[in-house]
Formats: sequence, C-alpha cells, structure tokens
Amino acid sequence: MSGAANPVSPPDITITCDPDKLAEFEQRIADGVLIEPGDWMPDSYRALMLRMAEHHANSEIVGALPEGEWITRAPSMLRKLALIAKVQDEVGHGQMLYRVSQELGKSRDDMLRDLITGKTKYHNCFNYPCPTWGDIAMIQWLIDGAAIMNQKTLADGAYGPYVRTMNRINMEEAFHFKSGEDMVLTLMGGTKGQQIMAQDAFDRWWPIALMFFGPADKPNAEELPAMKWRMKTERNDSLRQRYVNRFAPAAMDMGLVIHVCEKDAAGLVTSKRPDEAIALDEDTGNWSFTQPDWDEFWRVIRGNGPCNAHRVALRRLSYEQGAWVRRAIGTGAVATPPAA
Amino acid sequence: MSKVREQDLTFGDSLPDPTPDARHWVIYTMKREAAPYKWAGYVDAPDASLALQFAREHYGLDEACIGIIAHEHKDASDGVYSLDPLKPGNAAGDDGDSWTVFTLEKRGGNHQSAGTVNAPDAKIAIERATAAFAGPKVRSIRVVPTARIHETTESELIIWRTHDMNYKLAKGYAKDVRAKWSRFRDEKTYEQYRKDDIAKHF
Ligand SMILES: [Fe+2]
Ligand SMILES: [Fe+2]
Repeated sequence: MSGAANPVSPPDITITCDPDKLAEFEQRIADGVLIEPGDWMPDSYRALMLRMAEHHANSEIVGALPEGEWITRAPSMLRKLALIAKVQDEVGHGQMLYRVSQELGKSRDDMLRDLITGKTKYHNCFNYPCPTWGDIAMIQWLIDGAAIMNQKTLADGAYGPYVRTMNRINMEEAFHFKSGEDMVLTLMGGTKGQQIMAQDAFDRWWPIALMFFGPADKPNAEELPAMKWRMKTERNDSLRQRYVNRFAPAAMDMGLVIHVCEKDAAGLVTSKRPDEAIALDEDTGNWSFTQPDWDEFWRVIRGNGPCNAHRVALRRLSYEQGAWVRRAIGTGAVATPPAA
Repeated sequence: MSKVREQDLTFGDSLPDPTPDARHWVIYTMKREAAPYKWAGYVDAPDASLALQFAREHYGLDEACIGIIAHEHKDASDGVYSLDPLKPGNAAGDDGDSWTVFTLEKRGGNHQSAGTVNAPDAKIAIERATAAFAGPKVRSIRVVPTARIHETTESELIIWRTHDMNYKLAKGYAKDVRAKWSRFRDEKTYEQYRKDDIAKHF
C-alpha cells in the first residue's frame, strides 16, 4: 500500500543544544541545503526524523497486509501479477525506510518489536477492512494517490537519506496509482454489479483518504520543528484541498457519487447521503467538501479501529514465526523452524 | 501444523528473544552499456550472493538494468559532504590496492561509480579519488575496496529480460487508462487532467 508518513503532530521538542551550531543548521535548511548523515544535527532533529521514518516504514509493511490477502482472489492473471508486484514494492519500501531509520540509531529488531507491542504506530488508514475487490481498486487509486501527493512533498524535505529514498519509492507509487486508476475505470465502465461494488468501496475509502493527510496543523505549524526543519513541507489541510480538487471531479466524471456515510464498528457503511457540500468555487478553483469524522480518526489512532488488533496480531505472528529465519540470517548459525 | 497455516493468532505472554540485525548491503544498478552504476537502494542479507539475488528481485525488476553491484555498508568510506563542489587537490601516487570510487553530485542525490584508484588506505584513496574525479559538480566521494564489490554475472541477469513486465510500471497502464477515460471524458479534458497529473501532483 502506501505509507505516507504523517505522524500526528510531532511534539514541540524543547531545543537544547549549542545555539551557534543550531543557528548554522537552521540557516542551511532555510537555504535549501540538504542534511547528510555526517553533518551535525540537533538531537531532537535526529529523534523526530527517526520517528517519522520509522512510522513510515511501519505503515509500508502493515499496509501490505490487507492487499496481500487479495492476491489469491485477484480476478485475472494480469491483476494477480500486478498485485503481487505491488505488495512486494510496499514491503520493499518498508525495508528501505527501516534502513534509513537504522542509520538514525535504532535496530530493526527494536522497531519490529515496538510495532507489535504498540509502542510505535503505523498509518491509521490501514486499520480498515477490505471486503471486496473494489476495495483493492480504491486503495490503489485513492490511497496510493494520496500517498504520492504526500510523498512528493516529503521528497522536497531536508534530510538527504530520506529524500533519496522517497524519490525511489515515488517511482513505484506511480505504478500503484496508475494500475488503481485502471482498475477503478474498468469497474465503472463495466456491469451494473461492478459499478455498485466500486461505489460501495468508494464510500468506505473516500473519508479514509481525506483523513490520510492528518488533522489540521496548529496555526503556528511553520514555526514548529517539523516544518521549520523541512521534515514536512506542506500543511495537511493544503494537501487535502489539492487532493480533493483532483479526485472529486475525477470520481464524479466516472459516475461515482460522493457520500457522507455512517459506519459501524466493523468499518462497514450503515447509512449514506450525498455530500451536499461538494461544489467548485470558480474563483479559487477549490472544491468544498464535508470533513471526515475526526472523532473516528482519534478513536482509530488510539487502537480502537475495525482492524487494529488483527493487523498487529498478524505482524506478531510473522515476527514470532520468522524469528528462526532472522536468527539464521543474522548469526549464520544453523536454525530450525518452529514445529511444522 | 504451524501457527501460520492455522492462522492461529493467540500468543504467549512474552515475545521471543531479540534477533540480531542482518548484514547490510548497498546496491547500485547500471541502466545501459558503459553508463555508470547508480545507487538504487539497500538490502539486508547474510552474504553477497543472497544480497545480489535479493537486489535482482528488488531493484532489477522495475527498472531494466544490465548490471547490479553490491558492497557491504561497512566497507564504504565516505569523504566529507561538501556544501560547494570539492577542490580536486593534488594527491598523486599509485601504490596500494584498488578502490572503486563513487561520486555524489548533489546532497540528497544518488552516488554513482566513477572509476578506480590505487591507495594504501581509505583516507588516501579519498584524496586520490578527489584529485582524479572531482569534477565541477562533485560534492562527496565514496571509496570501497574493489575486492569487496560483488557483481551480478550476465547469466544471472538474463532471466529478467525475457518477458514483458510492463504490468509493474506506470507506463504499462497509460494506453488502457486513456482509452477507458474516453468513455467518461472528452479528449481535451483528459489531456489537461493527464498533464496536471505529472506537473502538479505526481
Ligand atoms: Fe504504494
Ligand atoms: Fe509504498
């Protein structure tokens, strides 16, 4: 899937370090100079960068779980090949981002353990169910589309290793998005049943896509470390607006209806009505829209979403079952699998 | 039967003992004959042959390339990452073992192979490499003992060149997507959307 790193509002870490060095560091960033690992950086920069890269890496590998479940059920050989390639890409993104994080000072094993004990998080959007093939199409179109937009701004950031990794990843995201667009167009140009499946999946994923960029930033976001140090380069609301401007008219042209929905605890839609806020403001070029349910967002982030427990349990299963392989690889010693 | 096959998601009270991180490799790919090797990414693997096998899967599939090299991360020595282009200096000499040289032209960019120098140690290798390869744009030099660089053979690469893998590239969908959009949007609107796609969003 796609892991946008938008860890929710990084804390305003009190800056305690050599003020002259800090001033020089901040001047470099303001001048658009990228930071490389050998450079001096404040400890709080390193800590925040690690948190961001680790959260992003976690999101990539957890994001691959719901899509992986559909490989065996893909509707054709071509779609199956593409989905396998996509899932492989996402796990690869995780692998690259864990590497960036390792260089910032945390071992991979610690990161995998912290993920399954809930000490660290992954992107909220991966805590929702994928009951139909339509969900796979919508994830690739809406969520990978959102991820590219976000990651494009992250590739504009200041930390060299993260930037080069982002550029590499975005190349692959373009394939995820295009194949998603192709799948949604196929469904919407298909039978009545396919169109209904696509609409139902769209109803589930549209609000999740809006939440993807995170809640509104604080009014002084530009002065807080995340933006001041160019770890992120655009406000969440601004990204969300650009996203809606692009995806709302595309969805409607295909015949999809944008709804405001109520969902049950399993993440399935129980009632819906057309979003009457959807309208183009000719002066600004912006589309207005109904905000997603931010209470739901916080509920899911706190671990109470439809699939949180299942996703983390699958990660734990994989961590436990794979321990013997990691031990063999890491030590070169002969190891044996758990009882077959 | 294993827990995986049963999808048994019940667990004991504690996690298994921590496991050590695997050896870490840096991967570069060559796109066409006589082009430099360019940084592609990283893999973790227990030895060079598995690192290259993993690299072929991970980096050799979505971008057609004709060669892949790998070295262990710890075998690389990076010189300073300069703000301005490096001054070549005048370090001369040809004694010592061979070092493969990679240059970095911009911060946040990708290292690429430039050639080799001989030197008795990494520090002198960087000095000699700077003298030999610091062009007008180079901001950092990396050296790796040539003996510690592992390379794919032609026979290992050939299997990736034998079938159509457009299904894993964005461009593989361009024609279909355009044709399918034509049911919903006229040519002009689609063209504008496609251009915005690249310029503003992706
Ligand atoms: Fe993706
Ligand atoms: Fe991804």
